[in-house]
Amino acid sequence: MANLEVPKELKTEAKAHDMYLHPIDKDTYELFFGPQHMATENFSIILKMDGNRIERAIVNPGFLHRGFEKLSEHRPYFSNIALILRICVPESDVPENIYSMAVDEIVGWEVPERAQWIRTVVLEMARMSAWMFWIMGFGNEIGLYTAGQWAAAYRERFMRLFEELTGGRVYHIYTVPGGVRRDIPGDRWLRQLRDTVEYLKGKMKDFDEILFDNYIMFERTEGVGVMDKRFALKHAVTGPNLRAVGVPYDVRKDDPYLFYPELEFEVPVLKEGDSLARVLVRRYEMEQDLYILEQLLDMGPPSGPHMVQDARLKALPRFKPPKGDAYAHVESTKGDFGVYVVSDGTHKPYRAHFRGPSQSHGVTVLEELLKGARLADVPVILKTLDNCPPDIDR
Amino acid sequence: MDMNEKPKVEEKVEEQKPQEVPEVEAPKLPDTKEGKLVAGMLERAPYAEGNVRRERRVEFKVPADRIKEFLELASEKFEMLLQISVVDWLKEGEFELVYQLWSVSETTHAFVRTRVPRENAKLPTVMDIWPVAETYEREAHEFFGIIFEGNPRLGPFILEPREYEKHPLRKDFNTLSYAKTIYGEDFDRYDESKTNYVI
Repeated sequence: MANLEVPKELKTEAKAHDMYLHPIDKDTYELFFGPQHMATENFSIILKMDGNRIERAIVNPGFLHRGFEKLSEHRPYFSNIALILRICVPESDVPENIYSMAVDEIVGWEVPERAQWIRTVVLEMARMSAWMFWIMGFGNEIGLYTAGQWAAAYRERFMRLFEELTGGRVYHIYTVPGGVRRDIPGDRWLRQLRDTVEYLKGKMKDFDEILFDNYIMFERTEGVGVMDKRFALKHAVTGPNLRAVGVPYDVRKDDPYLFYPELEFEVPVLKEGDSLARVLVRRYEMEQDLYILEQLLDMGPPSGPHMVQDARLKALPRFKPPKGDAYAHVESTKGDFGVYVVSDGTHKPYRAHFRGPSQSHGVTVLEELLKGARLADVPVILKTLDNCPPDIDR
Repeated sequence: MDMNEKPKVEEKVEEQKPQEVPEVEAPKLPDTKEGKLVAGMLERAPYAEGNVRRERRVEFKVPADRIKEFLELASEKFEMLLQISVVDWLKEGEFELVYQLWSVSETTHAFVRTRVPRENAKLPTVMDIWPVAETYEREAHEFFGIIFEGNPRLGPFILEPREYEKHPLRKDFNTLSYAKTIYGEDFDRYDESKTNYVI
């Protein structure tokens, strides 16, 4: 071995942060997992390994901190939409929607029915395309690449629909306070959406055969990263991860918003709490989302304007909501995504604090679940928790 | 537990009544699920103020020295701590901390507000009630400089070491001057006269 001399200052600094730069003894060593590793998506975990087992994990975020909360204090209310939707890339409609809902509540706007219908459709489309993105990542992590490639292709169909509706493929800047930025392009778009939903319903069986009913998936996920109900509630784990331990909490049912009270759908719940349960809950939710989209299309868009009729909307940069604050949240594929907006009566938000669902299950919970796991299980646990690093860094 | 504790609280209220009666103007709580929830909490915590904002949204105001006591009480009904938001009220010289709780059983969201002075802001940690508070307290400490006594992991978390102890989300942190000191002459994209700015 080459003689690796580490500067003395670096050594003391590392020790002060409970890290060691040298192999601690023959079998124990420290491993930096990410941010370059594909599975972590610009996220880093410092692992203390004993052979193949993880003794301790320390989450090390901060590799993409972009300061959205501070930036949003320097921009007018409507300009912020183009900024905050970049928080979580696969599901960019969620931050737009919660921010708009919170501003609507502060101003006291009743959003027109047509806009509510469009927002619901957009949220469900965003959920479906985020599921496809997740299958892509998860399939790659456990070596089933074909499923991931199919999912990427099906996501493309939603991207095209989004492009026609909003003008953007990934970042839509579509939902704004008071409604949506423009109306549905026409009946042809609705027919295309229905076709896509029908097509994906048929393709779910193929996904079952290649991924969800595959023995490789069972081998890799069963009994890995188990958490119990009490632990999950105390750590504020939400979304599919919470439903996999047996708590039927879904924001769409428990704190209904938009069109969800009028829709029929089930909240799938499993109680094992391991990675397999988390994967299967997601599988059942995809089916429910397709069912919701079908119901919305059967209902058809209500007639009326797609935007609130308010004279204040004519001078957007100087739009001033009254003093007040509001919290709005929606169910994203990662969990309960919320925002707390404070208005002090000027044309910029005084404070906007985002609650990314990964903030709870991506730091303390991840550190706990990784204890005692094998090195090969790290990507599986990361992907089944569906950790989105920008939720933490923002 | 409940049966044993209730009489004690009532006794305390009776003792304090002569002092508090002029201050408390009977809060009008609606006869709903949320109203009953708030009334039940206020009965056991007479030092707090509470009201119902709308359906599934309730609000409490608690003095900073009794916040932990109140949150321990609240954790019986509210299983989840969704986040701890900090608002920097610069003119009033105070930080407002909003503990946002969610009750899975009652499907209600609660804001628990408390205010501490900006200088040397100190609060007890709530890690022992909700372990997830560790993350939110680390964040609040890093961006605002609030010290949570009892949290062992307050230190560099998201920011770079050179930004630590600077507390960038405080209202008196000047982002522009900080960027200029870091990037120096490379930072020439900012238009001092603001003539090219639309907004």
